[in-house]
Amino acid sequence: MRAGLRWIRADLRARPGQAVAMVLVVAGVVSALLLSATLLEGATDPWRALFTQTKGADIWLRLSAGADVRPLGHMDGVTGIAGPYRASAATLVRGPLTAPVQMWAMGPVPPAIGQPLIRQGRWLTSAQPSGVVLEASFAQAVRARAGSTLVIEGLDGSSVRARVLGVAYSSDQGFYPDQTPGLMWALPGLVSRVEPVRRHTVQIAGIRLADPSATGFAVQQAVTQLGSGAVLGVSTWRDVERSMDGGDPLLGLLLALFGVVALGGALLAIGNAAGGRVLVQKQDLAMLKTLGFTPAQLVGMLVAEHAALGLVGAAAGVVIARLATVPLMRQVPAGTLGAVAPLQAGWAALLVGGIGIAVLLATALPGWRAGRVWPVAAIRPPAPGKRLSRLARAALLTHLPPAVVLGTRAAFTRRLPAVLTIGGLALPVAMVTIGIGFWATLDQVQRHPGEIGLAAALTVRPGELDRARAQRIVAADPEVAAAYRSVTVSALLPGETSTITTLGAGTSARPFPFHVAQGRLYQAPGEAVASQGLLDSVHLRVGQYLRMPVDGVPVIFHVVGRIIEPEYGGQVLAYGLDTLTQAGAVPPPPSYSLVLRPGISPASAAARLLRVSGGRLDVARTVSPAADLGIVRPMLAGLFGILGLIGLTCLLTASAVGLRDHLRDIGALRAMGLTPAQVVASLVTRMSVLALTAAVVGVAAGLSLSSRLINLAAQVYGIGAGLSSPPPAGATLTAATVAITAAALVALIPARRAARIPVAATLGP
Amino acid sequence: MTRVGEVPCCDGPASHVLLRSVGLTKVFRTDGGPVHAVRGVDLWLRRGEFVAVMGPSGSGKSTLLHALGGLEPATSGEIWLDGQRVDGFSQARWAVLRRRHIGFVFQFFNLVSNMTAADNVELAALIGGASRRAARARREELFGELELTAQADAVPAQLSGGEQQRVALARALAHRPSLLLTDEPTGNLDSTNSASVLRLLSRSHAAGQAILLVTHDARAASMADRVVSLFDGMIVDDAPLPSVPPPRVTARDVLELRG
Repeated sequence: MRAGLRWIRADLRARPGQAVAMVLVVAGVVSALLLSATLLEGATDPWRALFTQTKGADIWLRLSAGADVRPLGHMDGVTGIAGPYRASAATLVRGPLTAPVQMWAMGPVPPAIGQPLIRQGRWLTSAQPSGVVLEASFAQAVRARAGSTLVIEGLDGSSVRARVLGVAYSSDQGFYPDQTPGLMWALPGLVSRVEPVRRHTVQIAGIRLADPSATGFAVQQAVTQLGSGAVLGVSTWRDVERSMDGGDPLLGLLLALFGVVALGGALLAIGNAAGGRVLVQKQDLAMLKTLGFTPAQLVGMLVAEHAALGLVGAAAGVVIARLATVPLMRQVPAGTLGAVAPLQAGWAALLVGGIGIAVLLATALPGWRAGRVWPVAAIRPPAPGKRLSRLARAALLTHLPPAVVLGTRAAFTRRLPAVLTIGGLALPVAMVTIGIGFWATLDQVQRHPGEIGLAAALTVRPGELDRARAQRIVAADPEVAAAYRSVTVSALLPGETSTITTLGAGTSARPFPFHVAQGRLYQAPGEAVASQGLLDSVHLRVGQYLRMPVDGVPVIFHVVGRIIEPEYGGQVLAYGLDTLTQAGAVPPPPSYSLVLRPGISPASAAARLLRVSGGRLDVARTVSPAADLGIVRPMLAGLFGILGLIGLTCLLTASAVGLRDHLRDIGALRAMGLTPAQVVASLVTRMSVLALTAAVVGVAAGLSLSSRLINLAAQVYGIGAGLSSPPPAGATLTAATVAITAAALVALIPARRAARIPVAATLGP
Repeated sequence: MTRVGEVPCCDGPASHVLLRSVGLTKVFRTDGGPVHAVRGVDLWLRRGEFVAVMGPSGSGKSTLLHALGGLEPATSGEIWLDGQRVDGFSQARWAVLRRRHIGFVFQFFNLVSNMTAADNVELAALIGGASRRAARARREELFGELELTAQADAVPAQLSGGEQQRVALARALAHRPSLLLTDEPTGNLDSTNSASVLRLLSRSHAAGQAILLVTHDARAASMADRVVSLFDGMIVDDAPLPSVPPPRVTARDVLELRG
């Protein structure tokens, strides 16, 4: 034990670079996986994290203004009561946006139960009586953040100007707009200014239970205690959880995919590094055996050393992930995610533990090989490989410089390390190529929202104007290229319990310009196009028929195409408005989807329409989910860094193994007349040939996988395949060049040192 | 258990025999067919005895030494160490045996390259079961004896050949082995350093250390009590060298002599 520790200490001191590289690789992979798990959990089950952190109430009661809540505290199984808070309905106005909101009156001290979790800014303070705190998903929807100003309109039309002090998570109600009205907290004084008439307000009280499964019984008990006249409404944690459900896991999945592959790459790199060290240090390890180390001790020592490095890396990864979660919590990818809360400790421990075991397994095999080294290897020099690779033979035949021939020969002398090096380097190159593909696709959809079915930048509703007037204003606007009448109608899928959104957009003669990925657009009444998610959920293919009641009227749709449509979670059917009228349904009042002329900014067009209509048109900008995927870029950049480190570790290992294998050859060749420059050139060529092979393999794999993976991700998301852009040649070529240059540089330093060693010294054992 | 004493091997009481091989062979399988490196060697070494094994290159001297130290398995035959038959030992048992009873010195020093001279020596003491303090004290004692104190913190690459071999010798003696196996310890040294290393070996032997020395340096062999000649893997001669029996001196006496 003591002797083992002494060796580990000496070894770490002798190879600080390798140790640091390994720690960084593990830290990078751990942090990437933790972040992806955090995002996934936030997306798929945001309620659990929020409920725990906000010490949420299991039941929320809407009570009449004068109700007495004291009996609630005496109920069985109640561990605490939140409120009662006075609450008032109002309308929030922020620029062209208006949204229904419920104001809850709270004091400057956040409550103990159902405590809003401040994500940005601060909680209410008596110093700013006009300050409000917005629920996070609502703040995103109205594009407000701490410091924003907004107008709150009361039911009587009076308006109050308020300032957003903070943005907070809450488990009191589901995410906006799934659950409306939005939630806003204000001091009682401000609530009174918005709604001075007390009887127009309600009371909100929360009940936290010792056993959440007893919620149903507790609700009955509460209603009995307070009297059914006093209870205006009830919502339970189950309602909140349900309304927070169905988050979008795309971002988390994306990161998880990269993280898992990076983990594979890291394990390969770590295994490769450990294996390389066993090869390089074979004589030292054999000497340790001569001194009396047993095979088990040697294995244990190597595994323990790598486990310790892995542990330090994992701890650093946890810290990095924790630090990175903070900005993520502040700048949640809006629309794609409801909330991001730090990952539960159990999950984090499981993940880190799993990675730790994987690291141990990756080092166990090289460790086992070290255990099998015969002590006599300490004295016998290793036999170098003698085979001349085909590539080297070809190089010889074409009369290339000797250094190049020697380097090419050396690259493949040892088959297994050569394959491991190529594999270890090709994997990060392939991942980077795929990452570049993601990046390019993101660029494409952000620059051209039409590519993902968001051709209309604005949606206009008549608002306070009559339909004809609204239509005239829209049609006359010079910035509008085309306006399509559209309606949104819910429909019940045959054999399903959930409803989907159907869009009547344009007419069969003049259909809305959806992005068609397969088939064609609707051109006749009865024809429709559907998104991938819908086709999957009803097991339908393009060309088949779908019968379902729309607005109570049965309609038979002939699905003639598949469209890319990200707005409704991929569950959408679109058709011409004439299909509805022909089937005998009365379409609801339409809105207008406006396609703007090229180069016109949606903001200026919206402002112009509002100005022309005297602010009476209801203009909404289309929010592209792609706009919120901006966070993918820093994440991809971080992953590129991790992949680069993994590649570098592989290169360092390959360089060390190569030097050890060829030092004797080099001595002999120098004795025969090879100049030091030629020695350097041959070693650099060796690494460059390996890196070139890896780059070709990696780029080829990356190119073939990139589109498939993006389409797969889009399919999971429901958008459907058909929006991927291939990785740009320039960026891919740059990545490959960086890999080859790095390989040459990594080889250069030890090569120069090797070239300076006196010839005689390299000829000894 | 069979005691080595049951097999008559040598003059004097059987309990004085430290190492003995009976019919030891070592065959290497190569592409060109089997190579018989050691063929039926019967060899013994008494406690405190200094035996030199001589022979031309390729006579199987080093292979014999490696097999006797368990560095590679013998093909057949018996090896007895301190009354215990050890030739069937697993790698792990050989390792434990070496850390307690055997020290090695090689022609090319074979110091652990990433450790300092001090660490190399202390490592051997630590693996032999010494405490950290005891290992350090033993290393300081040996470095003092071998004039290496100034080189304690140097890594092998910073040391001269002679210094490296002295560190290797200190490492081999760090855990006070009962048997020191040395393989051409002067083969890679100039005459001054060779003389110095031989003097140290001689002094160690004088302090009671049993040594098996493989060499083809006649001067080195001349210090031994007995010289065994090997040719084509077989013992062709085993002759004691006429010398005055070495006085039983202790390490303390050696230190005093040096002083």
